[in-house]
Amino acid sequence: MTTVDGSRRSWLRPAVAILVSAIFFVPLYYVLVNVFKPGDLIAREPASVPLPPTLTNIHAVLTRPDGLFWVSLANSMLVTLLSIMVLTVLSAMLGHYLARSTRRWTKVLAVILLAGLMIPPQVILIPVTEVLRLTGMMATLQGLVLFNVGYYVPFGVFVFTGFIRGVPVELEEAALLDGASRGQAFWRIVFPLLRPATASVLIFLGVWIWNDFIDPLIILGPSQGTTITTGIYRSIGQYQADLGSVFALMFLATLPVLIFYLALQKQFVKGLTGGATKG
Amino acid sequence: MRRKPILPRVWHFASFGAPGVVIYLCFVMAPILISFGYSLTNHNPFNPPSEFVGLENYKLLFQDEQFLTALRVTTILTVIVVVVPNLLGLGVAVLLDRKGWLYHALRSVFFTPVILSSVVVSIIWTKLLDDRGPVNDLLRAVGVEQPPGWLSDPDLALFSVASIVCWQMLGFCVVVYLAGLQGVPAELLEAAEIDGAGPVRRFRAVTWPLLAPSLTINTVVLLISAFKTYDYVKVVTNGGPGSGTTATIAFDVLATGLDANHVGYASAMAVVMLVIVATLTTIVLRFLRRREVDL
Repeated sequence: MTTVDGSRRSWLRPAVAILVSAIFFVPLYYVLVNVFKPGDLIAREPASVPLPPTLTNIHAVLTRPDGLFWVSLANSMLVTLLSIMVLTVLSAMLGHYLARSTRRWTKVLAVILLAGLMIPPQVILIPVTEVLRLTGMMATLQGLVLFNVGYYVPFGVFVFTGFIRGVPVELEEAALLDGASRGQAFWRIVFPLLRPATASVLIFLGVWIWNDFIDPLIILGPSQGTTITTGIYRSIGQYQADLGSVFALMFLATLPVLIFYLALQKQFVKGLTGGATKG
Repeated sequence: MRRKPILPRVWHFASFGAPGVVIYLCFVMAPILISFGYSLTNHNPFNPPSEFVGLENYKLLFQDEQFLTALRVTTILTVIVVVVPNLLGLGVAVLLDRKGWLYHALRSVFFTPVILSSVVVSIIWTKLLDDRGPVNDLLRAVGVEQPPGWLSDPDLALFSVASIVCWQMLGFCVVVYLAGLQGVPAELLEAAEIDGAGPVRRFRAVTWPLLAPSLTINTVVLLISAFKTYDYVKVVTNGGPGSGTTATIAFDVLATGLDANHVGYASAMAVVMLVIVATLTTIVLRFLRRREVDL
């Protein structure tokens, strides 16, 4: 019965799936084709395929006299890499403390950290700017990195704690008996076993911090260096007439994340759904 | 069983726990306390000294037309953003829940916006929905003489912004539901089929209850991210058109506190926002968790 039913309408599901996806894809198509079209053609034929494709827009962005793209790219790279490295180290260690400590107050600490998962950045940003001003780190990249670390550490801890609970304590005890220091027991024995957790933390935080807008906008301030997102935001005003450059800048800014995502696609989806089913 | 800790306690906390905790306290917990403190004053960094005003800010807040509008805008936006991607996401996930390269490729189509910056998404849609943009060009081409001002019509702008958020969040829901669907045992579905249950009945009786954890995660993630909507509003409409037709609370907090420097008043707003988010999340989590069944 099912086979008859299935073969009779076997074209229906793929057809509907393709149609729905095509409609959903329209905005992405709009950007993709217009990156490779000369400016005047974008206004006249926004939906046409760029034939022959031109690299003028990309070239214009890469060779801007103020170097906006390169400066923003360097800042974004620096902030993202530093933040995710420090976050991985600190949240793995804090996760170890929470998973292994037998004291009662660790439960309280865990709740305080979990609360951080739902705090909107707007609630804390104004006082954060004052904390940074007091310590002389307002409008600096290291100020932004420190804020990122504080703000995202709950997520890292949340992921690592669960994984560390799954690693037998005996492994660490054996390493200690063999003369390893506590730090060595963690970094040489436990940490390598946490690879899926590390991948999740690196991927998620990497994408979030790279794409972040509000925090760099306010912490780096108007005059100081921009990241890639704030750079795009600031240049839409100047580029009002030149859509080709706006699209090219957005395309170039997304490229690193896109490559990162395509390379780690499997872990990405696994991390997302792992977090989802564990809740 | 209470076992001996493997590390001396103080040493363990000082070396493993403290660095993360200290930064968290400095950059998240302390600022929350400072916000709460400011909300009881008329603090303005460019007009010191600030005075203690008690609950005055909170009293004013609930008589403030602008804040009440922001509260309404945020509520409408949150309802749309929690419901629409959840529903459409479930539909798309069921549609794409098949093996094969085609379905894998189509999943990636839906997921791509999730990894884009909200600024990039906002700019794409600003250009698409512009009064003289491609969407309205198309409408004119098919004979609509007065196409709507998606972003310039005060009655419409909020729904346009909400749709943009929905478009970006849809892929997230699809992936989470797809993972949930893969956890539904085929034997259960086959058993139901043998018992004579049609596809709709099978979905309602077997699949849907087992998707409860996916519904929980999607709803909570959508709720939290909808409530703090800022980027889209800032880039797409900057709170307008007109006065505050798309200004969310998150948007108003920063406009009041950083652009207008009324830090005390903005902090009261932020505290109210935090209380609402925390309460809503707790209620929704409790309610949805109760539906979850163990296999």
